[in-house]
Amino acid sequence: MTHRSVEVPVVARVEGEGALHVRIDDGQITRLELEIYEPPRFFESFLRGRHFSEVADIVPRICGICPVAYQMTAIHGLEHLFEVEVPERTYELRRILYCAEWLESHMLHVHLLAAPDFLGFDSAIEMAQKGFKPQVERGLRLKRVGNDLMAAIGGREIHPVSPMVGGFSRAATAKELRAFEGRLEDALAEILDVADFVAALEIPEFPRDAELVSMVNQTDYPMNDGDMGSTRGRTWTADTYEEVTEEIHVAHSTALHSVFADTRSPYFVGPLARYNLNEATVTPVARDAAARAGLATLPNLDPFASMGARVAETALSIEEALRLIRDYTPPDPPHVAVTPRAGSAAWTTEAPRGTLYHRYDVDDDGTILEAKIVPPTSQNLRHMERDLREYLPGVLDRSDEELTHAAEMVVRNYDPCISCATHFLRLDIERG
Amino acid sequence: MTARVRVIGCGNPEAGDDAVGLLAVGLARRRLPPEVEVVQAGMSLRVLDLLEDVDAVVIADAVRAPSGGREPGAIVRAVGDPDGLPVELRGSFSSHGLGLAEAVGLAGVMGALPHVVFLGVEAGDLTAGHGLSPAVASALPALVDALVEEVAALAEAPA
Repeated sequence: MTHRSVEVPVVARVEGEGALHVRIDDGQITRLELEIYEPPRFFESFLRGRHFSEVADIVPRICGICPVAYQMTAIHGLEHLFEVEVPERTYELRRILYCAEWLESHMLHVHLLAAPDFLGFDSAIEMAQKGFKPQVERGLRLKRVGNDLMAAIGGREIHPVSPMVGGFSRAATAKELRAFEGRLEDALAEILDVADFVAALEIPEFPRDAELVSMVNQTDYPMNDGDMGSTRGRTWTADTYEEVTEEIHVAHSTALHSVFADTRSPYFVGPLARYNLNEATVTPVARDAAARAGLATLPNLDPFASMGARVAETALSIEEALRLIRDYTPPDPPHVAVTPRAGSAAWTTEAPRGTLYHRYDVDDDGTILEAKIVPPTSQNLRHMERDLREYLPGVLDRSDEELTHAAEMVVRNYDPCISCATHFLRLDIERG
Repeated sequence: MTARVRVIGCGNPEAGDDAVGLLAVGLARRRLPPEVEVVQAGMSLRVLDLLEDVDAVVIADAVRAPSGGREPGAIVRAVGDPDGLPVELRGSFSSHGLGLAEAVGLAGVMGALPHVVFLGVEAGDLTAGHGLSPAVASALPALVDALVEEVAALAEAPA
């Protein structure tokens, strides 16, 4: 029997560092292992012994793409424990910040990371060189609106520095935010073109069964606030997250895999889950964009429908940001007093790529005794492996190159943010 | 008119040797002329935006040779062109999601590429929570000197 081993050092289009090993014997996949390293584990120990007021400056460093999500989850959790009531205006400013992060992250993924897969290009560079320069320009332009809005609210630093437990160290002025109205209106005017662009891509169909999980919120499409739900009718809250789900060790990976504690089955978080579970609170242009981009009928559990969900959520982020900015008055004072108390602070928010769970056990002085961080990508890991096991058998007869491309496409479609982890995905295919 | 130069440090401050670019530009800052903008871009995706509105950029970052063909602490220099940075720098520990080499290449395709000088340091240990490894720590002064010299050379060159 001859063994062929192909190693493809893949590109930086997956955030972080990972490796996928596939072994094929007699036309069957006999081994499939996705490996990922997880710095959030380091942050968990790094946070121990820190004062609660430092947490909002430390956790955004976990991820370069979704610093806001890490920061907001920690802040909300600690405020909940300390029974801090922030004014509605603070909540609204945080929601604008969250919209900016979704806009930036989703448009980066749709135009620059995922589109090359579905157009048959190796990268956004090749895509721009071969006839899609206007689309790449559009992606960069839309992403930039999100980046700039994040910087206007969070401060001109690598990571947002103004958000804190109790509010903001400095709240953006109405003038600063209204300056974005024109750019957001222009972005909204383009978003249906993005939906049509996604609809025209050759995106595979992969209608497998799955249990999708996200926060649910009856009034506002969930970003910072809500309970948990699944497409199979489960409901729970941040307070019971660690009872309902469980992180298990697997031999081949340093990363933990998330499963439901009762059924030991994997689940899938992200924009598609959010859209399926929260369609009732979707804004008008977002609903239109979703219908055009392949999400007219729900439920839709096909992972590749995530592309359409990202476009819909981008429209929603722009519509929400516009609405909130037009009525915006800065919270005054920008932050309220906080008195720590001992207890356990658990919270979830919806990062661009799915539900992010944090728990902080705190003593009376506000010192962190224990921190637990469960990022969306690690919750999706086991599901990524399952999808690969189901998807790849249909393309096993293809060349190593095409097989590699198919595997990358499946993984990248989850928009894994493994900054936590990795800087590139390395792929090993062994054929026996 | 002198060239507008921006110095950019990339990397994750919490991931071992990945911090070397950030540390180097931080140390170089006080040895650089005040008109030179110094940006610690961290692990964000800002590099593409930072290639705008300047004549030249000098970027410092940790790199890892795909084949493991360089010793930790080795400094590599490359100059960007419209095709981006040399292929051996792909997979550099940089702007995540959209790699540094890809960002430079993309800026080239989009027609907005300034003169790009890249200084990379081969990383050894990238473990979160560790400081610089000894090999990379010993290379840091040379990297800072190299940054200062590159900026001086750019300032002397005709804009």
